[in-house]
Amino acid sequence: MAESLSYTENELVLLLKQHTPAAFNYLYDNYSGALYHVVLSIVQERELANDVLQEVFVKIWKQIDQYNPDKGRLFTWMMNISRNAGIDTLRSKSYHSQKQNRELTENVYATAETTEIETDKIGLRKIVTNLKEEHKVLIELAYFHGYTQDEISKFLNVPLGTVKTRLRSALIQLRQYLKR
Amino acid sequence: MDINAYIQSGIIEQYVLGLASTEEVAELQQLLVQYPELNKAIVDFEKSVEKYVMANSVQPPSFVKTALEKELFNTSSEAIINKDSKIPVYTISLWRYVAAASIVLLIASTALNFYFYSGYKNSKQHYEALLTERNTLQANNASYKQSLQMFGDTSMLRIEMKGMPGKEQNIATVLWDKRSKDVYLYATNMQQTPAGKQYQLWAIVDGKPVNAGVINDCAGICKMKRIDHAEAFAVTLEKEGGSPAPTLSEMYVIGKI
Repeated sequence: MAESLSYTENELVLLLKQHTPAAFNYLYDNYSGALYHVVLSIVQERELANDVLQEVFVKIWKQIDQYNPDKGRLFTWMMNISRNAGIDTLRSKSYHSQKQNRELTENVYATAETTEIETDKIGLRKIVTNLKEEHKVLIELAYFHGYTQDEISKFLNVPLGTVKTRLRSALIQLRQYLKR
Repeated sequence: MDINAYIQSGIIEQYVLGLASTEEVAELQQLLVQYPELNKAIVDFEKSVEKYVMANSVQPPSFVKTALEKELFNTSSEAIINKDSKIPVYTISLWRYVAAASIVLLIASTALNFYFYSGYKNSKQHYEALLTERNTLQANNASYKQSLQMFGDTSMLRIEMKGMPGKEQNIATVLWDKRSKDVYLYATNMQQTPAGKQYQLWAIVDGKPVNAGVINDCAGICKMKRIDHAEAFAVTLEKEGGSPAPTLSEMYVIGKI
């Protein structure tokens, strides 16, 4: 590909608000791979992830005016849209929710192991595999399944304070891996 | 508050990854105003996540982009770009068309109204003129018919009045019904009366003029006053409406029985 322009986030936001095809091309060409990675790490099925990714770009396109730079970087905003779209898709799939309920109530640790095997090539999950088992589960439930700390506390029958501490501890470790 | 301890607590990671509770987010946003180093820590973590995720990009299949381009720019691209303004714009332009069409129709209708109305007026005038003409002709025809009958009627006495000296071209005829004593005047050839003047018929009875009526603008034969008997008839020019006594100097025609 020819040398392409590189925009700062502020420039990109302004560009996106114009809703030009050029803005879309830039957005897609630069971020689709990263956001696909995020979506895949959540839904873990390529076919499903294709649909979700499409949905993610439509949302970014339509909701760019709602993006507030004071609350974070554009990439963080887009990444959270991707994560939420993935989680929503998982939850809207009844067989998945059934599966999740079973996983959560019966054997959440087993779930963490299975997903680990299925998705060991996907970056975000790959990082998690480095964590201790008790932390891995928390990240799995909180980040990849979107459960609140309160819900996790109930599901795991662990006090909320413990969930909070473990989650933070897990995240601090993840930060170390990210920096490597 | 020990801000460094807070920064190291894992709250930043929670916040950036969307794992913080509503209360935790609120607390962090409050602290952000006070501690600029907190913001720096957030941005640092955001950048490290971004760098990691970008580095682990997974190329999506190309049809996703094609589908998106189709969705965003082909059929519905305008709908997305002008999401909020498209419908009003369309509505306005529709109303504009309707309004424009209405105005054109109104103008056309008004023009047609004028056209048809003036046509109607012309026709009506024409019709009325023809009606009047017909009535006039019918009336004339009737009176000529009557005249003819009268002239042919043997019981009608016909008195031809001749022009006086200096007014010789004037001729008028009195038809006097011997049975009913009705008097009719036929202005065979009388000069046009000047404005404000009228001809008046007189019957000369026992040497005295008797008013037999003014001659109005009647076609053919004019019915005058009934005269029982008379020696002669004469016509004078009088002021409009007639005079009680004839102006002898203005006598135009006279005829003896």
